[in-house]
Amino acid sequence: MATANVTNNEQYNYEVIRKFTIMTLVWGAIGMFVGLYIASELAFPVLNFDIPYITFGRLRPVHTGAVIFGFGGSALFATSYYVVQRTCQARLFSDGMANFTFWGWQTVIVCAALGDVLGYSQGREYAEMEWPIDILIEIVWVVYLTVFVGTLMRRKQPHIYVANWFYLAFILATALLHTFNNLAVPISLFSMKSYSLFSGAQDAMIQWWYGHNAVGFFLTAAFLGMMYYFVPKQAGRPVYSYRLSVLHFWAIIFLYMWAGAHHLHWTAIPDWTSTLAATFSIMLLLPSWGGMVNGIMTLSGAWDKLRTDPIMRFLIVALSFYGMSTFEGPMMSLKDVNALSHYTDWTIGHVHSGALGWVAMITFGSLYHLIPKLWNTKVFSLRLINIHFWLATIGILLYITAMWISGIMQGLMWRAFDDYGNLQYAFIESVAAAHNLYIMRAVGGLFFLSGMILMGYNMFMTIRSGNVEQTPN
Amino acid sequence: MDVLLWFTKFENTKPVSLVIFFVLFCGVVFYLYGSKRRGKELESFKNIPLQDDEFK
Amino acid sequence: MKHDLIERNLGILLVLTMFAISAGGLVEVIPLFFIKETVEKVDGVRPYSPLELRGRDIYVREGCYLCHSQMIRPFRDEALRYGHYSLAAESKYDHPFQWGSKRTGPDLARVGGKYSNEWHTQHLTAPRSLVPQSVMPNYPWLVKTPLDYSDIQLRMKALRKTGVPYSLTQAEYDRNVKDFGPDVAKSLHIPDAEKNLIAQAQLGNYDGNPANISEMDALVSYLQMLGTLVDFKKYDDDYFVKFR
Repeated sequence: MATANVTNNEQYNYEVIRKFTIMTLVWGAIGMFVGLYIASELAFPVLNFDIPYITFGRLRPVHTGAVIFGFGGSALFATSYYVVQRTCQARLFSDGMANFTFWGWQTVIVCAALGDVLGYSQGREYAEMEWPIDILIEIVWVVYLTVFVGTLMRRKQPHIYVANWFYLAFILATALLHTFNNLAVPISLFSMKSYSLFSGAQDAMIQWWYGHNAVGFFLTAAFLGMMYYFVPKQAGRPVYSYRLSVLHFWAIIFLYMWAGAHHLHWTAIPDWTSTLAATFSIMLLLPSWGGMVNGIMTLSGAWDKLRTDPIMRFLIVALSFYGMSTFEGPMMSLKDVNALSHYTDWTIGHVHSGALGWVAMITFGSLYHLIPKLWNTKVFSLRLINIHFWLATIGILLYITAMWISGIMQGLMWRAFDDYGNLQYAFIESVAAAHNLYIMRAVGGLFFLSGMILMGYNMFMTIRSGNVEQTPN
Repeated sequence: MDVLLWFTKFENTKPVSLVIFFVLFCGVVFYLYGSKRRGKELESFKNIPLQDDEFK
Repeated sequence: MKHDLIERNLGILLVLTMFAISAGGLVEVIPLFFIKETVEKVDGVRPYSPLELRGRDIYVREGCYLCHSQMIRPFRDEALRYGHYSLAAESKYDHPFQWGSKRTGPDLARVGGKYSNEWHTQHLTAPRSLVPQSVMPNYPWLVKTPLDYSDIQLRMKALRKTGVPYSLTQAEYDRNVKDFGPDVAKSLHIPDAEKNLIAQAQLGNYDGNPANISEMDALVSYLQMLGTLVDFKKYDDDYFVKFR
């Protein structure tokens, strides 16, 4: 594939994209390593080593923060800046502001990880960062929105390509969610400690409105934007149906926001709230699959690319996992299924089939396409990409299989009765029964991490052979 | 008059919003698939990512 | 002329997107006010004493909520294993809520009073010495670390701003006497926070070492009151159903 056709550096701001791309690889490796470590702690608790800073409870937010906001976030900054410039044929709105988003965001990730390790926590999943970091996130995010909208306003192409719609919805929704979920009263201006403004049931509703839509917008809508640019580019053919993309865009951003309360089935919130959430969760299946079909069908008539192009394979397998987890999700939001699956490892498996299978795989595919273009060179080794693909796929399969088995087993053991109507198992028996599955999960994670590190090496070699200062044509 | 009062009752917001959102949805579907000419124009936008390499 | 239209399109896109993503949020925010009304009216639920509050802060600090839920669901097995299903009222003073989403370990919503103080101290220090198959980390530093309660008043004042009825003035104190009785009202009075905290730690002697007040004292005092506030014998089973 010809990549030499790089437009000159004056036309587009690639510098900030290069920086975000490198940090995507770095945070990916760090975040997945921490994930592997805490998975191992659950299998072998001795690994906590009696050190407060590395206990499971403190490292788990480091893992989620580094992979969601470090790896995922940096990938989204990089690709959104790339896609918006290429499809608008306009340079980023402000180099200074774009640069600020880079340094600001990296500061956020580092401070968040330090805060988690030191025990500063708001006690809210995926929003553990205490109030000073939240304020920095808010500032970075407003600047991001400004850069993105400013670039859209400069566009030479009259139509705004649909990928940018997804990115825009993600930026707006994240601002909304972040703001309301982090309303808190600090105990003093010089303390990291704060207390949530809301309490109990209200607090739970707000947190899961945030938690669910962080998945819906940060990890889904935005990555669909990525998909709508990089799948057609890599396939060399336009997306299957543009009208379908518009239709499922509106459906998905509208429906997602209603579904959060399915994380609170059977808890102390009114029943009708969770019924409403379950209904919308089921409806979400349709637009989700609309996106999957649209992406996969882009390849229709060119299926042979799957055999010859490992990058394409990453992208298409990502879409398949997306389809699978968006089927599993609505199923788990049914109250009766949820009664079994909630509180168990099944949820963890579901999250990772989405996070590893969809988010990470689509990112890998997109970055393998993007990095040679950014550095004006060719990929160092296609063979290594192929090996990465298999390491990642095997890793995911081990991971989610282990979690399915342990999750369903826990659910069944907890509700098992003996002939006299007593509980059949003590809780600790379900913990012991999961031991081997926790080891299997960690092995899956090790596969996935190895692939990530291999990618880092491959891309390091690619970048080294690159030439940023090339004269135009 | 009774018809207007019906709208002021809180418990009726569910059917009202259902109708509003369903009509909006139909509107979007009609906009996208209602006209052949507009459909063609919309579908032409899918080539935008593939045009950017040619652009200097 | 044409440019004008394009600008408008971006504006329209922004507005429609905002509308689409806000609709669900608005409908989920409005019910929050209804939830306030569907919080059960029960006796006994009170804000945390200063020592319990510091214990709860440690619970949050160590990320306990990542492996332990505090929300019992209305199922037969959970009733047998954990007790009566959790009420919204029982977490109405919880900033933030700690319902959790995962049970790597058991639910803790009603762990209070199920084990002795000695058991908790030993279990938190070295879980596998009591439960060999446990995967919980050891927390040996809790008994060794003196509890820092220098900012306890600041903490209670911050919570007071969010609506927790800790008292600063005589009027607020009197109101608490009326709502919670004189003993509880005393423990909610901010100016006496340090005194109350020390008194509860020494009286309770949660970590088995009366000489100092450790983080273990605070955490165990919190665990020991979890789920104990509502006396369910006073209510019919049907009473709570209508709030859901």
